[in-house]
Amino acid sequence: MSKVLAIALNTFKEAVRNKVLYFLLIFALLIMGFSGVISDLSIAAPEKLIKDLGLAAIDFFGFLIAVFVGVYLVYTELDKKTIYTIVSKPIDRYQFILGKFFGLLITIYVNMLIMSVFFFAVLYFRDATDFDKVMKAIYREVSPGHYEPIGNPQIQYYLYHFKQLALAIGKGVATIFGYWEPMTHHLMRVIWMSGLGLAIITSFAILYSTFSTPTLSAVFTFLTWIIGNLCEDILRYAEKLAQKAGGVANLAGPDLMKYWFAQIAMHIVPNLALFDKRTEAVYGPWDVSTPNIHSVPIDWVSVVYGLVYVAGILCLASMIFNRRNFK
Amino acid sequence: MKIIETVNLSKVYTHDFIDVEHGRLKFNFFRRTVALDKLNLEVREGEIFGLLGPNGAGKSTTIKILMGIIFPTGGSARIMERPLGDKSVKAKIGFLPENPAFYDYLKGEEFLDYYGQLYGMPRALRRKRIEEMFELVGLPPHAPNLPLKGYSKGMLQRIGLAQALINDPALVVLDEPQSGLDPLGRKEIRDIILRLKDQGKTVFFSSHILSDAELICDRVAIVNRGRLVAMGELSHLLSPKIKDYELVVSGLSRESLDILEKHARKFIERERDVLIILDKEDLVKEALRRIVAENATLVSLTPRKETLEEYFIREVARTNAPREEVHA
Repeated sequence: MSKVLAIALNTFKEAVRNKVLYFLLIFALLIMGFSGVISDLSIAAPEKLIKDLGLAAIDFFGFLIAVFVGVYLVYTELDKKTIYTIVSKPIDRYQFILGKFFGLLITIYVNMLIMSVFFFAVLYFRDATDFDKVMKAIYREVSPGHYEPIGNPQIQYYLYHFKQLALAIGKGVATIFGYWEPMTHHLMRVIWMSGLGLAIITSFAILYSTFSTPTLSAVFTFLTWIIGNLCEDILRYAEKLAQKAGGVANLAGPDLMKYWFAQIAMHIVPNLALFDKRTEAVYGPWDVSTPNIHSVPIDWVSVVYGLVYVAGILCLASMIFNRRNFK
Repeated sequence: MKIIETVNLSKVYTHDFIDVEHGRLKFNFFRRTVALDKLNLEVREGEIFGLLGPNGAGKSTTIKILMGIIFPTGGSARIMERPLGDKSVKAKIGFLPENPAFYDYLKGEEFLDYYGQLYGMPRALRRKRIEEMFELVGLPPHAPNLPLKGYSKGMLQRIGLAQALINDPALVVLDEPQSGLDPLGRKEIRDIILRLKDQGKTVFFSSHILSDAELICDRVAIVNRGRLVAMGELSHLLSPKIKDYELVVSGLSRESLDILEKHARKFIERERDVLIILDKEDLVKEALRRIVAENATLVSLTPRKETLEEYFIREVARTNAPREEVHA
């Protein structure tokens, strides 16, 4: 286990010193910051827009890290022949695969946590700098309908914003450790589920890179991600095709092919839609016990499904890697 | 104890069906390359063993199979009397690949620590060994805190050697350890190898720098085209007979020089002296007689035995020849 950890930490160090990671992170943070700005344009629910965009950005940029960093991890070791000095050491090849996987996962999760803090901070800050709240903070009501500024309103305005920014960041950090307000309740659950979905994608990126080039691995991983996210819809479409024809037996030609493609895709590719709890958290039903909180129940079946899937793919990757000759 | 033993070890590479070579598609349906053909080697405990051969002879292939980097397609091999891939054996091996590339984002110290961890060494032991290694391989004092991307080629070779020795191995396997080093660097590697032997370790290395191999090897194996050409102690392989005599004289008369030139295998007149290579002892005696008679100066007289290089070239040429005739 300590050897897997050593490889994982080395992988993490390698990823952290990769510039691509920073570009992705900066871009993700920009999008979240931007969501705070454009939410003003939304008439009905600015908060929903920030949540939707923010959660999607965390998931998507986590995915991009898995692809762009992941597909190179094993390849670079083979290309630079550093693998020679690794496999000649007293380790099993599967330990190398596990180390690479966990190293990449640590990288993705650390990035997701940074993005999450920023995302929560945007939410809290946006909420605290609501026009009414700002006014209340810098003006005092002396008599009904009459207001008087507290000190210099301009200075107070900036001071208030600075204070709220610091507070928002603090609360953002606290939120990833379990603190919540009605606005952010259960959002961490969404992020963890999305993290589990990314673990599956990461295992696929590692699997592909054990036998193909980075470009092909990236394409394969991307396709897996798309089909995985859409496979419920694809299946629904196939069922509808069958229903329309009056049963699978009546399907013919291209329709039959489409039906079987959907069935095969559904059974080979992971159902990534299971790990997307965004809609529930942002637009879902209200929690019965607590008002103003969307209910996002923990879906243990999906968790087990995800873990089993990851284990299976890593086994497959190890089996392929075990048989490889490193020329 | 036999530290390394290979029996009919073979490796055949099957090419990819389609390959891109120089920007063009190349079809290699069922093309195969024999990299190693029934190689039998035996390395004994405590010796320095040199695996010699021209480029593409199968030296690296042999080492890669022994280190578990590639798998043989035939035959078998054992290290320390255990089959290949045994982890308890791997823990006692140190390996430096040819032209090693390492994690250039790591600092020297981090790098050695990582390899120490892969050997499962406890932290305190790692620290101690890392310090010793930097000293042993002669890296400058700032090396531990310098990222590997700032290392020169010579420094990389040294830190590569350090990672191979971090676990205090019983068997050290080095693939072309001296390639790309200057004469001073090569000498230092030679000294380290000799020191390892003094510590009771077995050193197995491949090389094409024959003069260096001749200086330090107890036994050598010569491979060519994947086959073993010769294996044994240097003193047995190289002919003990004197091959010829190298004579350098000055002040001899023209007449004597003309006579010697007629019988010499090589005759080179230089500014101050003359270099004459003679085959037979009688001719040398004749030359000496004339030097004394004419009161000339004998600058040097060297009886020459066969060198490893000459033996190597002869053996490699011998194994190359018949196949080329077939091609023709």
